[in-house]
Amino acid sequence: MEPALSAGDWIVVTGVGRGPRVGEIVLLRDPREPERLMLKRVAGVADGACTVLGDRPEESTDSRAFGPVPLGNVLGRALFRYAPIGRIGWLW
Amino acid sequence: MFLSRLLKPTVTASAHCDLPCGVYDPEQARIEAESCYKIIEKYKASNDELFKTRAIVIKEERAELAKHHIDVLWSDYFKPEHVQKYPEITELCWKAAKQCSKVKGSLELGDAKTLLEMIDKIADVWTKAGGPQATRVQNGVAARA
Repeated sequence: MEPALSAGDWIVVTGVGRGPRVGEIVLLRDPREPERLMLKRVAGVADGACTVLGDRPEESTDSRAFGPVPLGNVLGRALFRYAPIGRIGWLW
Repeated sequence: MFLSRLLKPTVTASAHCDLPCGVYDPEQARIEAESCYKIIEKYKASNDELFKTRAIVIKEERAELAKHHIDVLWSDYFKPEHVQKYPEITELCWKAAKQCSKVKGSLELGDAKTLLEMIDKIADVWTKAGGPQATRVQNGVAARA
């Protein structure tokens, strides 16, 4: 998810009551391994599932590999990065 | 320190790709296929029944491993954009995996040779698709680290 997110960023995630929207970064359960949480960008939402992609397609494993993710797997959306200090800012 | 502990996130999520290492190279499949080739050669040159039995067992294992490595390349490394650009890769992987099954049950050198040629064709696409740069740790990286 570089450059939007880097390893070690501390972020605030909020619930997705209204459902995810295209362009947002969402926190979701890996459909192949539900205990594993991932952050990916929403590329499309249709039929109760959303297509998520990493920002670096050449290095990302995303919906191109595991298909659309059921909306039930989407836990929240990334709102704000509060650390490191130099990178504080909104994520949407 | 206290503030840092207070603010520290309690949940960790992965923002990057996959749990696997991301290293993909048809060479892995080729080495297993070369093992099959050499084992068949040795099988044919031997009169020792015990050795020949072991050779068959080990060849079957190696052929299965070659198949596994081809499957991993196909399902994990090659992405839709690669298939769009090099549509032949689907059939190459499919046929090579089938050839692995053939080699598993065969003692013909020609079958093992065909498998090697198929893996070489996959390797050509892997190279054209930027595989060496995208997946391998370049020489000299370890030395600089």
